[in-house]
Amino acid sequence: MFGRKRATHDFKAEIEAHVQIEIDRLREQGLPEDQARMAALRTFGNRTGAEERFYESGRSLWWDSMVHNLRFGLRTLARTPGSTAVAIITLALGIGANTAIFTLLNTVLLQNLPVRDPSQLVLFGKGRWVGSVNSLPADPMQLFSYPFFKEFRRRNEVFSDVAAMDSIMFGTHGRVGDGTELEKIDVELVSGTYFNTLGVNPILGRVLTGSDDRAAGGHPLAVASYAWWTRRMGANPAAVGAKVTIRSTVYTIVGVTPPEFFGATVGQSPDLWIPLAMEKEISPGWNGLDDNLFQSLYIIARRKPGVSMEQASANTNLLFHQIIRAYAGPQPSAKQLAGMAHARIDLTPAATGISHLRLEFSSPLMILMAVVLLVLLIACANVANLLLARAAARQREIAVRMSIGAGRARLVRQLLTESGLLGVAGATLGILVAYAAGRTLLGMAFNPGRPLPVHVAPDAHVLAFTVAVTMGTVLLFGIAPALRATRLELVPALKETRSVIGGPARNRLARGLVIGQVALSLLLLAGAGLFLRSLNNLMNVDTGFEKQNVLLIGVDPGAAGYQEDARLGTMMQRVEQRVSAIPGVRAAAFAFMVFNGGGWTSGVTVPGRPATDHDPSVDHNIVGWQYLDVMRMPIVFGRGLTAGDDAGARRVAVINQTMARQYFPGGSPLGRTFSIGKDAEWQNIEVVGVVKDGKYMQLQEDPMPAAFYPHAQHVAFMGNFVVRYSGSLKTIVPQIRRAFANVDPNVPLGDVTTLSEVIDDAVANRRLVAQLSAVFGGLAAFLACIGIYGVMSYGVARRTNELGVRMALGAARHAVLWMVLGEALRLLLIGVAIGLALAVAAGRLMQSLLFGSKAFDPLAIGAATLMMAVVALCAGFLPARRATRIDPMVALRYE
Amino acid sequence: MSTQDEKERLELLQGTLDLLILRTLIFGPQHGQGVARAIQQTSEDELLVEHGALYPALQRLETRGWIAAEWGTSDNNRRARFYTLTKAGRRQLVAETTKWRRLAAAIGRVLGPDAEEG
Repeated sequence: MFGRKRATHDFKAEIEAHVQIEIDRLREQGLPEDQARMAALRTFGNRTGAEERFYESGRSLWWDSMVHNLRFGLRTLARTPGSTAVAIITLALGIGANTAIFTLLNTVLLQNLPVRDPSQLVLFGKGRWVGSVNSLPADPMQLFSYPFFKEFRRRNEVFSDVAAMDSIMFGTHGRVGDGTELEKIDVELVSGTYFNTLGVNPILGRVLTGSDDRAAGGHPLAVASYAWWTRRMGANPAAVGAKVTIRSTVYTIVGVTPPEFFGATVGQSPDLWIPLAMEKEISPGWNGLDDNLFQSLYIIARRKPGVSMEQASANTNLLFHQIIRAYAGPQPSAKQLAGMAHARIDLTPAATGISHLRLEFSSPLMILMAVVLLVLLIACANVANLLLARAAARQREIAVRMSIGAGRARLVRQLLTESGLLGVAGATLGILVAYAAGRTLLGMAFNPGRPLPVHVAPDAHVLAFTVAVTMGTVLLFGIAPALRATRLELVPALKETRSVIGGPARNRLARGLVIGQVALSLLLLAGAGLFLRSLNNLMNVDTGFEKQNVLLIGVDPGAAGYQEDARLGTMMQRVEQRVSAIPGVRAAAFAFMVFNGGGWTSGVTVPGRPATDHDPSVDHNIVGWQYLDVMRMPIVFGRGLTAGDDAGARRVAVINQTMARQYFPGGSPLGRTFSIGKDAEWQNIEVVGVVKDGKYMQLQEDPMPAAFYPHAQHVAFMGNFVVRYSGSLKTIVPQIRRAFANVDPNVPLGDVTTLSEVIDDAVANRRLVAQLSAVFGGLAAFLACIGIYGVMSYGVARRTNELGVRMALGAARHAVLWMVLGEALRLLLIGVAIGLALAVAAGRLMQSLLFGSKAFDPLAIGAATLMMAVVALCAGFLPARRATRIDPMVALRYE
Repeated sequence: MSTQDEKERLELLQGTLDLLILRTLIFGPQHGQGVARAIQQTSEDELLVEHGALYPALQRLETRGWIAAEWGTSDNNRRARFYTLTKAGRRQLVAETTKWRRLAAAIGRVLGPDAEEG
């Protein structure tokens, strides 16, 4: 196509020679030079024309022909605005859905941390939020203790540096500068090596260094995030050196990080980074600095250049076992030794940071990605069908062009250019769709009203993805029709006005496409049905409490200067009294833990009951005495907590049914006692009541033992305040705030949410999948509907003549109707059969993501099939009815 | 009329210039301008060769291997591209000439003696 034997200048030279020879001849005949030249040129005729023809005969310049193809394509598409618009919109929906989901997937799963050379970073463990605060390692490790981190860092040989950070971000309150108002400040505690390990440089001042993290309590320094610096400090360079007071410690701001840096944990955005050495000052309840087994830190390390993942892993685990062996003491038990043998550190590449979102959303996003790819496939089938019909309508044009010498390759290129134009238009529109849909999607995934925890913006990944998808799409929907359209027999095509290529072959392809669409749509609808059913099952699971009308308020008494002593207890009791006195408040209580807020679990010892290895852990909660009333957790027997269960009274607990069954089998647990650990405060606790089993941490958990203790008997910092209310939140919340202020105006109140919102949040990932798969399933069905309609109406139009003859010969209208509808029905049945097989297979794959429903859920699959059938028959009915309205006389003259 | 005939007729019409070029080159190598002049002179100026069509035709014949070309010097010392008839070209010329004669005779018979007036 590109090769040729002669260069253009060679041809030009030849023509130049020709003209010269002619001039010479004319001059010999006596003409003057200038006249001879003019005559020569005149005789030669159109010189440029000759050159052009040479140019064309020599090669088909792809650029020229592309420009030409583009122009021609645009004209052709503009000639049939209706079908062009349908094609473009179909593609826009398909490509848009893909781009939107991929943007989300990219943000949550793929984006690298904005740090130096992120591929060298490794995370110890998988970033799960699981750690023990008192037992020796016995499982693959996720979290580590501060002493372990320090020793590991000192002795390691494979990492250029190692950093640790607290696994939770502390939502504390503090005062900025000379301000008197307490404001919310999110603090991430990090080792001094944190910034150096990640390779983050300050845009102002300095970051923390290894020497800022030596002596416990001795480094009151903070690095500000860019967002906080601009929001709170007005981006003032004088912020370096400014003071922030948290509890009783004054911190000096030493620097500001770059705008794109949000820390190593995706979805979090700390305001300040403070050295881990200040842990006790930020969170007085924590003893992490010198306890070997207080395992609460993530560790991230940077591999030395040239150190492979395998080397790093081998070295890390060797050192890990040496260190923890020393923690076990001189005489470890056989169980401890066996546990430690199981313990190991799995190194995970940490280029993308740590992400709870990733753990929670990776499989849902993968599923949605698969779903939208299927939708795109269905869209492709539609466009391919449209192009087939269009090619059939253009067969005379194509035949004429082929007969006057246009090559097949050229025509295929031409047709593909048109497909490409459709694809580009669809992609452009699709990106707009994705942009518009992106925020809605995020709103569905995360609680609306809160700032989005991730920065969602299309980047090079997304752009590359969209381009690749568009190109793939164009080839997919364009190739077959283009090849089909150009494979025609010239003579009949030229002679006849009606379809030849629209004959059996075209129909087989078109019908195959429709069957595929029906099958895939059914698969998507059935999948959506399964997800909706499991979401519904989950939302209707017996939680053991009533989620309606419960307010949740975050509180931070520590920030107001309280210690864990009687003063704190008095304050909490007074607040509870005041708030319960508000009209419209039924009950109010502080709580150590609330639903979906994690848990404090451990085993318990019951006198007279030998401990076994598989004693289940008990979920402990310290609460205000009205807590069970706030949650409406029903007492099964015995009594609930009362105001009388105070510091002076006997220590009591209300346990749940599972705990009663597991730890006090045979006979009533009432009046019996149990203990937790060795702490004097937690010995000999008497069971006074049994409460119905419930869900404590997440909806899908299995029944677990649980116990509730009155905080009047166990003073501790509590971050949650729960209220059962009736009436309007608008009037209740300000009254609650006033009640707090009356007791102590310094206690800062945090987020106000409701329990139902928290529960919605807890199933956000499932809801995202369920709702989006339903939306995409509907979209798929709609596209399939267009596909069926298109193929059927084309079929009817093509058979107008035949149908006319039949009716002229006396065929009844309903017979014609059934003839056409029967065709649609046949496609539907084949499609449904394939779709059902696919749906059952896919259901098996997704079993782990379902809750309370089987892979073959008759209701979900039945509903999907019914919906598909209705859609398909509606789509087939319109053309069928049109067929019955054919006037035989008109039809016979139709040619 | 069948398609087969249609195609041949089209080719014949298109091939006329080709035939004349081949015929001209039977007398030895010649450059483009020479070919054009020769056709014009031998046809006693009945046939005027459009030069713009001549060179693409030469190009076409060269591609098909019926003529070969190389740069040389003309009678009055101009550089020019000279075309020579190849063996394949000679065979083609014989075939085409026969065909053309038959066709011309056939058409002549159909048109009859009075065709010019008709």
